[in-house]
Amino acid sequence: MRSLLQLLARYSILLMFLALETLSLILAVKNSEYQRSRFFTSANSISGWTYSIATNISDYFHLKGENEKLNEEVARLQNENNALKNTIIGLQENKPQDYIYSDLDKEFINGKVINVNKNKAHNYLTINKGTRDGVNADMGVISGNGIVGIVSASNERFSIVIPVINTSLHISCKVKGSNHIGSLSWDGKDYRYANLEDLAKHIVVNAGDTIATSGYTTNFPEDMLVGVIEEVKTSPSDAYHKVRVRLATDFSSLSQVSIVKNNTIEEQLSIEQTIK
Amino acid sequence: MNIWLSNIIRFVLCISLQVLLFNNLNIYGICTPYIYILFLVSLPIELPRWAELLIGAATGLVMDVFCSSIGVHMSACVLLSYLRPLLINLFVQDKERLSGDVDIDKIGLQPYINILAILTVAHHIMMFTVESGSASMWWLTLIRIVASSILSFVIMIGYELLRRR
Repeated sequence: MRSLLQLLARYSILLMFLALETLSLILAVKNSEYQRSRFFTSANSISGWTYSIATNISDYFHLKGENEKLNEEVARLQNENNALKNTIIGLQENKPQDYIYSDLDKEFINGKVINVNKNKAHNYLTINKGTRDGVNADMGVISGNGIVGIVSASNERFSIVIPVINTSLHISCKVKGSNHIGSLSWDGKDYRYANLEDLAKHIVVNAGDTIATSGYTTNFPEDMLVGVIEEVKTSPSDAYHKVRVRLATDFSSLSQVSIVKNNTIEEQLSIEQTIK
Repeated sequence: MNIWLSNIIRFVLCISLQVLLFNNLNIYGICTPYIYILFLVSLPIELPRWAELLIGAATGLVMDVFCSSIGVHMSACVLLSYLRPLLINLFVQDKERLSGDVDIDKIGLQPYINILAILTVAHHIMMFTVESGSASMWWLTLIRIVASSILSFVIMIGYELLRRR
């Protein structure tokens, strides 16, 4: 008996090792779903908590990708919305089914601004979409907030955009509600503001009125947000208002944009050519 | 620093690095480094063997909780904790005059590399074998053991060498 105890004492560590190893192997081999769930419901709160924090942190690193996905989704929905609008117009006019132009007369192509220039008189942007994505010169560019500018040149993969904040760009705009047309231009000073010109003095405009695109140009669809009137100045010697517009697009934090592709532009231009 | 405190900090760091970072690293589906064993390898040299076995079992169990497995990490860590004192006896001559955490400066580079390499391989063999649970696909398990052991060893010895400077 004593020798047995001595033997046990001598090999106690080995026995303990074997016991622990056997226990763990039994656990590993015999873990039924029930045991597993019992084990993990008691222990899960800590690991679950740790993993939720880790996921919260790693989510931040995926934000960029998520954002791009959302923008693609926005472009897709804009296209769908546009098609539905056309269908509704067709239905309201009681056109026969074949004459409803629900096909896309306008398409929105999602792009990303990769270079911004906002502190010069002749600013430009570079976007990461080019001719192979269907982007060509003279297409309008909008952001989630408002209009951005007009594509001036494209190569295969990139396009140069003349933004609203370029002194050489004039965009036909209207005061929302009254539908009076003016021309938006930039004075080269502050990238947050532009001026609306050619608005006759008899037209009543107030600070706070919304300025949107007129739809008279082929670049932009009608009613795209441009900005809000900041102040209206009228001098007796001038036939026009001096309207200062706070631009809706923030050019200091511009990233995701949509390029408006007008699919009916060639038809429109060809019919206009005939009378020239 | 207090030896208890430093070991607790090392435990938390090793487990969280393993769980949050290295468990997500799965190169070609075969290579995942298990670096948390550095905690067990670095335990104080004068620790009683029974305590070391229990700490090993507990560490393995904690990893099992995070990896949604039972007994897999535990068996491997118990084996590692059993082997470590034997290897220290084998490779370190004047073990009696040493105390405190095991590191390169204390026991020398060559013995440290031997001990770390053997312990890493032993842990990985046990863990991947128990995890696979059967002899089928044994070649895949073997590839996993070899690839992961090499990566784990390189990361751990690299860290220890950098820490020394």
